[in-house]
Amino acid sequence: MIKYSKNFVIGIWSLIKGLAVTIKYCFRPAVTLQYPTQKRPMSDCYRGLVGLHPEKCIVCYQCVKMCPTACLAITHKLEDKKKTLETFKYNMELCCFCGLCEQVCPADAIVMTKIYEISVYDRKKLDINLLDDKKYDEWTHTTIK
Amino acid sequence: MDATQTKEMYTEEFLINMGPQHPSTHGVLSLELKLDGETIRNCTPHIGYLHRSMEKIAENRTFTQFIPFTDRLDYVASMNNNLGYVMAVEKLLNLEISERAKYIRVIIAELNRIASHLIATGTFAQDLGAFATPLFYCFREREKIVEIFDQICGNRLTYNYMRIGGVLADLSGEIIEKIKEFIEYMRPKVDDYDELITYNVIFLARSKHIGVLSKEMAINYSVTGPNLRGSGVKWDLRKDEPYLVYDKLEFDIPVGENGDAWDRYKVRIEEMRQSLRIIEQAIESLPQGEVTVRVGRILKPSASETYFRTENPRGELGFYIVGDGSVYPYRLKIRSPSFSNLAVLPELVKGIKVADIVCVLGSFDVLMGEIDR
Ligand code: SF4
Ligand code: SF4
Repeated sequence: MIKYSKNFVIGIWSLIKGLAVTIKYCFRPAVTLQYPTQKRPMSDCYRGLVGLHPEKCIVCYQCVKMCPTACLAITHKLEDKKKTLETFKYNMELCCFCGLCEQVCPADAIVMTKIYEISVYDRKKLDINLLDDKKYDEWTHTTIK
Repeated sequence: MDATQTKEMYTEEFLINMGPQHPSTHGVLSLELKLDGETIRNCTPHIGYLHRSMEKIAENRTFTQFIPFTDRLDYVASMNNNLGYVMAVEKLLNLEISERAKYIRVIIAELNRIASHLIATGTFAQDLGAFATPLFYCFREREKIVEIFDQICGNRLTYNYMRIGGVLADLSGEIIEKIKEFIEYMRPKVDDYDELITYNVIFLARSKHIGVLSKEMAINYSVTGPNLRGSGVKWDLRKDEPYLVYDKLEFDIPVGENGDAWDRYKVRIEEMRQSLRIIEQAIESLPQGEVTVRVGRILKPSASETYFRTENPRGELGFYIVGDGSVYPYRLKIRSPSFSNLAVLPELVKGIKVADIVCVLGSFDVLMGEIDR
């Protein structure tokens, strides 16, 4: 009985000690964000979906060779001995957002955008044509500038 | 039935499957438990639910291309995995990196160690019934580290920051300020955990003398990391086989006494304090200079083999790489700490109550990503 009450008192005491820590934080401003309405701004080098400046691309195929998951595919055509892009496909399903393509590109043509809320209902939407200007219209609202 | 025949009472052992979908198995681990009432008679872990053939994938990737895959081994401590891998490749290439890059690597690796131990602490407390509060406190602190990582490399979980020959980006003055702020912020928080969790009587009652791992058994099963040190063996690669600049920095190796669940937990808490010390010193003596040495875009190590091990938050992470003179490794073997740490679990849980298995497993802080690879 004595042991029981002793344990009881010790238990209550350590509960109070623990509660002191929690109460301390009760009166400090909350650190959580209410997510869909509040969003954290992305850092400058944030790696979201892959984007492209087609006019800068020199069709060197470095990004395709570097991509570890083989999600980029390019075809080109020759116009008076100058390579121009024909298609630039990006299979977002495979992308692991590693940023190696952006790093290796000699012309800064391929970039990582800040779009990160990228769930879709239709799987076909994951196959993205990077040459299309309106490709990310659906998702741009997820980005904080 | 003959009315005179006496019906014999008998008991039998029964089998339950804990996991793979179980909140306290920390991933997709399945434990086949043979129970005698509440007591565990036998435990067989089944692994492989998260198997992604990392080692085979490595054989078809160039050395740089494999770095993002190492992020996914131990996804709680991606930076340390990156580090282990790139250092193994650098050893294969006989590459010496710049002094500044070495210090940056130490700072980043120790930050990630803190983040990883925070998750271990939080989930362990949650497993023992301290519902949500400690876990969220730990995540609040981890968020600061993740934010720093987000600013230096652009991702919050799979960093892909270390590069063969250096690191992806230099630490700017702003980020160094942030890290300094974090050290100041974190110190009192670790004391808070002591108040809130470590010396709480309920926590002590649940974790003291549970899952005692003896020194001999720990060594025989090649348990490493905080679990080994919890059993009182002073073995830390950062001290005993120093790499990078750990030999120039001052820090202690905390060890436990009894090797029970509480000791393993306590070692992690102390290691957080030591990591803060390391970061502070490394920032003090951060030299100026380049962060990357130029290596060619195509890396072709000569036909040779190498093994390199580093101290991960969970133990000893080793990479064994065989090069055959081409751009791909001929073979890459990963020695992951959690795999050996999990192997000792069946020995420890025999004879204890079923409710305590969560405590033992939580104190081991195993991570399925690197067990299954
Ligand atoms: S981010 Fe990585 S995975 Fe995605 S396209 Fe670029 S290189 Fe490929
Ligand atoms: S690396 Fe850059 S320039 Fe070369 S093909 Fe890719 S996007 Fe174009």
